[in-house]
Amino acid sequence: MKVRTWRRRLVPYLLIAPAIVYLAMFFAYPMYQGLVLAIYDDDAVLPVRSEPTLDASEVSKIPQGTALRILDRRSQAMIEDGEAALLTEQWFRVSGSAAVGTSVNGWVPEARIRVRESDAAGNPLTGTVRPKLGQSADPLTDVHAEPDESSSVVGRLEQRVSVSIAEVAVLEVWFLVQPAEDPDEIAGWAPSRYLQVFEDGERGRVHRGTAGEFTSAFIERMIDDRFFEPALRNTLLIMAMLIPLQLVLALAMALVIHARIRFSSGFLYVFALPIGMSDLAAGILFFSIFTGNGLLNSILDGLGLIDGPFAFLTAETTGWILFAIVLAELWRATSIVMVILVAGLQAIPDETLEAAELFGASYWQRVRHIMLPLLKPSIQVALILRTILALQVFAVVIALSGGDVVTVLAHESFRQYFELRNDNVASAYALFILLLSITSAVFYLRSVRSESEVRPT
Amino acid sequence: MNSTASPTAASPTAASPGLASGAAANVNTAADTALVLPPLDSPEVAEMHQRMRRRAGRGRRLTYVVAALIAAWILVPIYFVFSMAFTTQETVRSYPKNFLPFIPFSTDTMRFFLESEGVLRGLWNSIVVALITLVLSTLISIPAGYAIARYLFRGRDLFRLSVLAVRAFPIVVLSIPLAVLFLRAGVFDSLYSLALMHTALALPTSILVVSSVFASVPYELEEAGQVFGATPFQSFRHIVVPLVIPGIAASGLFSFVLSWNEVFAAAVLTLDNRTLPALVLASLANSPDAFQFAGSFFLMIPSIVFMFFIRRYLFNMWGQVTK
Repeated sequence: MKVRTWRRRLVPYLLIAPAIVYLAMFFAYPMYQGLVLAIYDDDAVLPVRSEPTLDASEVSKIPQGTALRILDRRSQAMIEDGEAALLTEQWFRVSGSAAVGTSVNGWVPEARIRVRESDAAGNPLTGTVRPKLGQSADPLTDVHAEPDESSSVVGRLEQRVSVSIAEVAVLEVWFLVQPAEDPDEIAGWAPSRYLQVFEDGERGRVHRGTAGEFTSAFIERMIDDRFFEPALRNTLLIMAMLIPLQLVLALAMALVIHARIRFSSGFLYVFALPIGMSDLAAGILFFSIFTGNGLLNSILDGLGLIDGPFAFLTAETTGWILFAIVLAELWRATSIVMVILVAGLQAIPDETLEAAELFGASYWQRVRHIMLPLLKPSIQVALILRTILALQVFAVVIALSGGDVVTVLAHESFRQYFELRNDNVASAYALFILLLSITSAVFYLRSVRSESEVRPT
Repeated sequence: MNSTASPTAASPTAASPGLASGAAANVNTAADTALVLPPLDSPEVAEMHQRMRRRAGRGRRLTYVVAALIAAWILVPIYFVFSMAFTTQETVRSYPKNFLPFIPFSTDTMRFFLESEGVLRGLWNSIVVALITLVLSTLISIPAGYAIARYLFRGRDLFRLSVLAVRAFPIVVLSIPLAVLFLRAGVFDSLYSLALMHTALALPTSILVVSSVFASVPYELEEAGQVFGATPFQSFRHIVVPLVIPGIAASGLFSFVLSWNEVFAAAVLTLDNRTLPALVLASLANSPDAFQFAGSFFLMIPSIVFMFFIRRYLFNMWGQVTK
């Protein structure tokens, strides 16, 4: 019996488990990732080491993009981690006759050998030692025990001596680097794959870091973006114009529905139609009205108010574009506010309104002093919902302005991601929208609540 | 003017004429209080009633006018674009536009749209994504909705609240990181990944709607089935399921339409496998108006059908946010 009740208690958790798992995987985790993308740079800094090997200890970290002075270079065996695009050096294991007539067998950099013969696969077989240029140069070429400049010299070869090539080693170049502007900084070794070396071989920069670091760089880049300010301004402007209009229209719609006139359900259907409409479709609807040969111009022309079409949607008439965006959003998203308000009105007991009517309150007095105060929670929810939705206007803006003339925050996020392939800055925009949403929700919750405390209803 | 009426009651702006006339008969005939009220059948009261009726009638007419104006505000743009979608391309380009219905009626614009490259595939992609979203969100929301409606368990309110909060989150915020994650996992530009995303968007509303649908079926019915010897599952299957099917269908339709409409995530997550909204969005800049109008016709059709079927559940879906 005890086991059964224990099992029964588990049932609801099993029932909600799929939903929780799903929302965790496809909602919570991406949200967290978005936050990380916006403030954490995966390859922000490059650790440099005391010796040119990965095992050596880190001596310092140099941020990505730092200009470098290159103090030394050395070749090392390749790091096998599947990464490409690096500076390599080839060494040949050669054998040939040395100056004194003995045979020498050892490693020589590829630059010192001219390859004369190769097999079918392109592997070098024989070659000659290149002459060194310049009067003062040592005419002999060192042959090393290991494919490494610092290894011991096992012999020396005369220039133009023929050698046979037994083996080829590909080595990666490591550089001893130091930030160019900070000569006091300790120099450290870094492999070439993370560096960009300039022509002279003495200067370079950190091409890509390997260690992550929290950074405000993406947020700064977003704020410095030339579209950030107009996007923010337009988004707020649209919000400020839209939300009051929307509240008034939604209230009118809700009062009409609540009046229980004939065909009320028909009106409710029509009023609710835009709820299911895509924002893109709404944008195109209003594009069809405001475009050059559209409905508005046709009507104005028909009434004789203008001669010839007026171009509403051009870069010179951003005011009209904003107006059209507000109208399209008003058309599309007022219905949902209406539904919330109607639900709120239905929760007001009929007796309350009848009593007021009995006491001689006119319709407007009933609306003003009974319905509106009792609707406060509904209005609060509607305001939060609408503000959050208004912060994401996107398709309507693109349909009416092409996205460049009038831009909004959501579109900038899209542009950063899609056109500029900058996930991090796109996430910074998204994070910014989220922050604005949360701030406005908190603002509404506080302001509406404190008001009702002052003036109890 | 009746001479017995007190000045207070006679004044049309009196604070409480209704109350006065209602209470007059049984309270104040014998008691000699300051307030003398007219008898109910006096012309005074009749006139007042008439005035109230007139005022109500005027208000009623005004309500119809406002209702008609709002309906026109919503219907005229739809009508205009529909008529543009079913006319010749010359008419779409013409100026000034004819405002009469569908003149000349032609399938020219529509044919041009459907024959444009990628449109049929986009339509098909949209249907596939929307159907996957419908099935997934329904499958997950039924048990969760049932649990909220039928069980009192620790964490129930927290679960409900978090579902509500999730619904209010901006789509934009979710799309970009999800796209990055899908890209890393190698499932970029796939219809399945888009359907997964759309399910995450539809799920919160689905759960709330399904739970309110289950809550509207009294648990006593289920118990009665068990009293008559049915197992819990049988009574669920034969009593509850038939009653909740319409509501669950409505929530499924909601998921379908949400997915059909959704454009931001679709544009971010897909490249070659565009759904219809993403396709229309991508071709906005370099397509003729006729293409856009016909495209918006297809974007709107499911929502118009959807609203017809779910109008009973309208308040289940969006009204309950206040509770």
